Amino acid sequence: MVAVESDVAVLEGVEREQGYSPPLGHPDGCSDEPVAKARRRAYSSSVSKPVRAVGGFVAMSLDTLVSMFRPPFAWREFLLQSWFVARVSILPTIMLAIPFTVLLIFTFNILLVEFGAADFSGTGAAYGAVTQIGPIVTVLVVAGAGATAMCADLGARTIREELDALRVMGVNPIQALVVPRVLAATFVATLLSSVVILVGLVGSFLFSVFVQHVTPGSFVGGLTTITGVADVLISIVKAALFGLSAGLIACYKGISVGGGPAGVGNAVNETVVFTFMALFAINIIATAVGVQATL
Amino acid sequence: MTIARTPYPRLRQMTQGWVTGMTRIGTQAQFYGKTLRSIGAAFVHYKAEMVRLIAQMSMGAGALAVIGGTTVIVGFLTLSTGALVAVQGYNQFANVGVEALTGFASAYFNVRLISPVVSGIGLAATIGAGATAQLGAMRINEEIDALEVMGIRSIAYLASTRVIAGVIVVIPLYCVAVLMSFLAARFGTTAIYGQSTGVYDHYFNTFLNPTDLIWSFFQAISMATVIMLVHTYYGFTASGGPAGVGEAVGRAVRTSLISAVFVVLFLSLAIYGQSGNFHLSG
Repeated sequence: MVAVESDVAVLEGVEREQGYSPPLGHPDGCSDEPVAKARRRAYSSSVSKPVRAVGGFVAMSLDTLVSMFRPPFAWREFLLQSWFVARVSILPTIMLAIPFTVLLIFTFNILLVEFGAADFSGTGAAYGAVTQIGPIVTVLVVAGAGATAMCADLGARTIREELDALRVMGVNPIQALVVPRVLAATFVATLLSSVVILVGLVGSFLFSVFVQHVTPGSFVGGLTTITGVADVLISIVKAALFGLSAGLIACYKGISVGGGPAGVGNAVNETVVFTFMALFAINIIATAVGVQATL
Repeated sequence: MTIARTPYPRLRQMTQGWVTGMTRIGTQAQFYGKTLRSIGAAFVHYKAEMVRLIAQMSMGAGALAVIGGTTVIVGFLTLSTGALVAVQGYNQFANVGVEALTGFASAYFNVRLISPVVSGIGLAATIGAGATAQLGAMRINEEIDALEVMGIRSIAYLASTRVIAGVIVVIPLYCVAVLMSFLAARFGTTAIYGQSTGVYDHYFNTFLNPTDLIWSFFQAISMATVIMLVHTYYGFTASGGPAGVGEAVGRAVRTSLISAVFVVLFLSLAIYGQSGNFHLSG
């Protein structure tokens, strides 16, 4: 019974969720019979909702892009947000980077020991850490820690109608709130990816040398065999792209929230899911492009 | 006149923080113990709720159901990482002239490393975060207190049923995830990079170890348990209005990602640590 209650709240939230784009009036004419109107509205909302969400997202992204270059740049908010995202992300980053790299290097070393090429474990570690672990752990942390917090914060403001208040006062919420958040996510993601790579390399060095008895010299010597400057640059570009899309998705979900506490919770949940999906899709495209560029 | 003040304020504050941290660990452990203990009660008394949750979890709630629910999302995530195996494995192996071994990379890395980790991530993001959002909203609306007043065992009714449902849902979900990663790696290698399917299948079948697959399932199930426990705890203890629910979801995702990866790591070390269970010569 409880769940039914909250489901109703969710549905209401979904109804009100199309809040971003300025309302242009419903496609239904006003002269219809109420029943037919309600039925048609239910149908059109179930069909057009995803399309409308995509449209709203694209519109907000464009607005954000344009507002980025409009003069009053919210420096203060940008710094605060950067510090905030960095603060909530740094510990999860380290806690995720260590097991990920240890797992990778452990699986990889089983293989290399079987080949009799354990000396090359440094090569595998560098390649894995720079090309995949770095960006992916950054994704997980930026989406799981930064984007969720951002979405919760913006969502709560939307629920309390603070964004409407801003609009009434003549402040553009996109410029004042969204642009600094998106830029902060991009900036911090770029920085985080280097932290992940460093932590990953140190972790895999310690694990290989002290647990799996690889010679330290050959581990370090193998680091740069197939991983070069180009790979590092691509990895950093990837991280920046991830941060940008995570920030955009989080902000869109945050400012289009509706329906009370359940609405905010669902918006955060959707933020996580959509960012993960977007980021994995970006990752494969960026990897394919990067592989073509470096080989 | 002297102001009454506590001696050593800084030291006291530090100890206070430390004590609060330890208390939080204690309450979490207590909650997990209670949830696991109530699983029997959930099976006896709340079967209908459990079935409803299983249906809901496999399809997802709200806007997530529109794009196909949890199954599609987890399938998509492993699909993309499987394709990644094709892209990176094929190109790196082609660099040293052994691109025939891409099938081996798919059979080895997908089973041992990529599928468990990626499905764990998918589970935390979809089922887990959904559970936190639901429970958090119920807590904020004081629905959980209402349940207690009505004499329903709230932990058994809300938390234990979700843990069971998560573990049941993860089994078919993981089948889809593993299949997707295999298919994507095979498609990428044979259809896009143009390797002959016979070569790919030969190396894939040679190195695909059924025991590894079973262990990989075991990893997925233990991860699902841990993830559901963490997420129900954060949902249950959400506070602070709408923003509090959102924050609880974020914190739960962070914690459960970290614990899921650690579960995979320690299970891998336990399973493959001694012998590696890998034989190049068959």
